[in-house]
Amino acid sequence: MNLKRALAVSRRVFMDLRNDKRTLALITIAPLFAMFVFGLAFSGQISDVPVIVVNQDAGMQTPAGQVYISDAVISNVDTDMLDITEMNDLQAAIGEIEDGNSYAVFYFPANFTEVTNQAYSLSSNATTAIEIHIDMSNVNLADSIMQAFNQAIQDTMDERGIEMPVSVETQAVYGQNAEFMDFFVPGIMAFVVYILTTLLTLITFVGERTSGTLDRLSATPLHESEIVAGYAITFSIVGTLQAALLLSVGMLVFDVSVEGNVLLAFIVVALLAVVCQALGILLSSVTHREAQAVQLIPFIIIPGFLLSGVFWPIEAIPVWLRPLSYLVPPSYAIDACRSVMLRGWGLDMIWMDLLALVIFATVFLFLATMSLRRRP
Amino acid sequence: MPAIKVEKLVKKFGSFTALDGLNLEVRTGEVYGLLGPNGAGKTTAIKALTGLLRISSGRAEILGVQAPSKDVAHKIGYMPQETALYIGLTVHQNLEFFAKLYGMDDPKILEREAELLKFIDLEKWRDALVSTLSGGMKHRVSLACTLVHEPEVLFLDEPTVGVDPELRVSFWDYFSKLKHKGITILITTHYMDEASHCDRVGFMRSGRLIAEGEPAAVLRESGAKSLEDAFLFYARRDRK
Repeated sequence: MNLKRALAVSRRVFMDLRNDKRTLALITIAPLFAMFVFGLAFSGQISDVPVIVVNQDAGMQTPAGQVYISDAVISNVDTDMLDITEMNDLQAAIGEIEDGNSYAVFYFPANFTEVTNQAYSLSSNATTAIEIHIDMSNVNLADSIMQAFNQAIQDTMDERGIEMPVSVETQAVYGQNAEFMDFFVPGIMAFVVYILTTLLTLITFVGERTSGTLDRLSATPLHESEIVAGYAITFSIVGTLQAALLLSVGMLVFDVSVEGNVLLAFIVVALLAVVCQALGILLSSVTHREAQAVQLIPFIIIPGFLLSGVFWPIEAIPVWLRPLSYLVPPSYAIDACRSVMLRGWGLDMIWMDLLALVIFATVFLFLATMSLRRRP
Repeated sequence: MPAIKVEKLVKKFGSFTALDGLNLEVRTGEVYGLLGPNGAGKTTAIKALTGLLRISSGRAEILGVQAPSKDVAHKIGYMPQETALYIGLTVHQNLEFFAKLYGMDDPKILEREAELLKFIDLEKWRDALVSTLSGGMKHRVSLACTLVHEPEVLFLDEPTVGVDPELRVSFWDYFSKLKHKGITILITTHYMDEASHCDRVGFMRSGRLIAEGEPAAVLRESGAKSLEDAFLFYARRDRK
């Protein structure tokens, strides 16, 4: 292996990218576009969901005046999330759900305050219930509505100094105050590098084969391993720059926090880029023209999208399908990046992910070199 | 010692025999034209010698080194049929890249680039993207990339295909100048009229050499008035 020749290849690929404004835009704008679109679309910030409150609570007379616990609950509802309309008739309110105008009706019975107060201050066995009528056709939305309402009840009890017999206290070991974008940015860094590096190398290399430049290179002193190394150098640098760009925008715009050593995350991304460029070269060996390369795109994107854990955890994938996740290189990079950035883990904790990526890189680099060495 | 020596070279693609025991010797410093119709095996022969195809059997040597081999790669130049350039790079960037593959340093590259751009008359286009050049210009840049490292042996595969008549004349002028510098050239073409520029020609048919010699001698022996007629004469004789 002659490093000077490998660097010449690397420089040539860089110049090609630099001269091609569209590819340059793809490399820089596409990752940001993906982060904004996916990040905002999947951010989980549900808002303005129309719900109805039918409040028939008669309240309770106290020395301080008439008290309505139902009003306290309603005032504690997250009004950014739930858009509350008050109605008097329960059946008419349910009709609004049936007509698709509302997602839920919360009904407070007349004795709500009285019984609630007795239950906690007099240790009475009397019970009361808030009736909730809800449209469960959208399970995620229904769950969120329920969570918001339960939180409002909990906050009201806390305000009134009423202690529940059992309480759950959550202490975050990792990810204190973490929001969706904190979870998403490390994943999208690796995901974007996986998709773009594989596709760019695939398309570029099919071009090398069809234009005859690869044949011309074969007649020079350049060895196949030097071609692969040259591409690996370029794309590992490009991948790291993409990750740095995503992280910078993530920190500036989305206030993403980084707990661990960000350089370690960049090393993970660079290693993933090496795996992906080798995969791109390997895939190019089974295609004879650009149109055939395009046919491979779903086989690159879909496993990465569905199985790598970028959008939902690998643990949410059916057990029988899960082994496939471990055959998809970005799974390891996404896990490692999240561990570094959210948990603050170091090399001693992510070494398994790194080892998996090194094994992928070694195997794919070898196979890519062999595919170039193959002669008809 | 011949610059190129080929003995009983066979190249098979499955059951199809593209080269059928080809024997060939090209002397140092001569321009040797491999002539024949499409499918005769001309390109296959060049690709086998430059290492783009695996030889099925037989033996080849370039400058005394068994070929194909990376050991001799820095002494040969290969110009494929396609222009085979990086069209997203400038003329300068293409020349610089290929030069670096041969280990040339920057001052030498600049010196050589100036010579070559003058040689192919594209000095004003040094910083133009190859994608913006005409087809003829791309062919000239392709030749320059083949020559950048001053090879001793040139393999030119149909360099004048798709080239306008004026440029074809220019190309043969270039080849003549290269020959006078002592460079050995193996060139393939199916334009029989061009072959008169060669020192010697070899007619190929069905993967074999069916006749060879100096153009005048070939014409004389065949009694033909043109090399095309001479080829037909030898092809008929071969069929028998």
